[in-house]
Amino acid sequence: MHGSDAALLSRLVRWRRPVGVALAALTVVYAWAVGSAPIDSVQGVIQKILYVHPPLAYGAYLGFVLTAFGGALYLWRGREAWDALAVAGAEVGVVFCTLMMVTGPIWAKGTWGHWWSWDPRLTLTLLLWFVYASYLLLRGFTEGVARTARFAAIYGILGTLLIPLNYFVIELFQGRAVHPDNLQRGSLGSGMGWPFLLGNLTLFAAFVYCVLLRWEVEMRRTRIALRADALAAEPSR
Amino acid sequence: MSYAIAAYGITGLTLGIYLFLLHRERKRLAAADR
Repeated sequence: MHGSDAALLSRLVRWRRPVGVALAALTVVYAWAVGSAPIDSVQGVIQKILYVHPPLAYGAYLGFVLTAFGGALYLWRGREAWDALAVAGAEVGVVFCTLMMVTGPIWAKGTWGHWWSWDPRLTLTLLLWFVYASYLLLRGFTEGVARTARFAAIYGILGTLLIPLNYFVIELFQGRAVHPDNLQRGSLGSGMGWPFLLGNLTLFAAFVYCVLLRWEVEMRRTRIALRADALAAEPSR
Repeated sequence: MSYAIAAYGITGLTLGIYLFLLHRERKRLAAADR
């Protein structure tokens, strides 16, 4: 393991605390903002899912980009800490993506009348979820820390090709998609901007907190595994 | 109303449980890593 990993570990612990405090404070303000946000005249209270569903999607995208970033740095530098960052990004991304795919159908049931539609955005989101859930599963099936990390890095980088496709697919299918258009400046009603911003800030803080914690967990797991391998390789006296 | 409560409830509960499990695992590994 790299010599400066102990320093990185202590930095992760140091960064996590202020993020945790910010997350707790933001959660309180966010809850108040969602509660007091105006009720949509067409959809009613269910429209308030807007303040959680897209921020979860951005968190999922960010997690998968982090996986590619960590994987690319691992291939370049060969340092286990970057592979650990890739794992953290994938797992937190899958958690956010799962929640996005739970809150979306709840909103759909209340507005469209059915839980799911094989719309291009929904189908590609499901595919994105499968790609990164498989990333986590496949890591468990390959043997050896370095071999697994190299394979996962390439897979994680290729997976991100789906992200721009997932984001722009509604525009590509012009009018044939059931999912509403991506949010643009001015597309939110009066009084809905602040709760939406707070939703994004709170879920971003939750994302960063989860990644810092998961990154530390993975780094410690790798450290313990490498130490056990080194002990097993030592000739018995 | 109940749809919105379900969406926020599931999100909050899931993230809460995930963070709890991560904290527990971190504590266990930190003790083993000493």
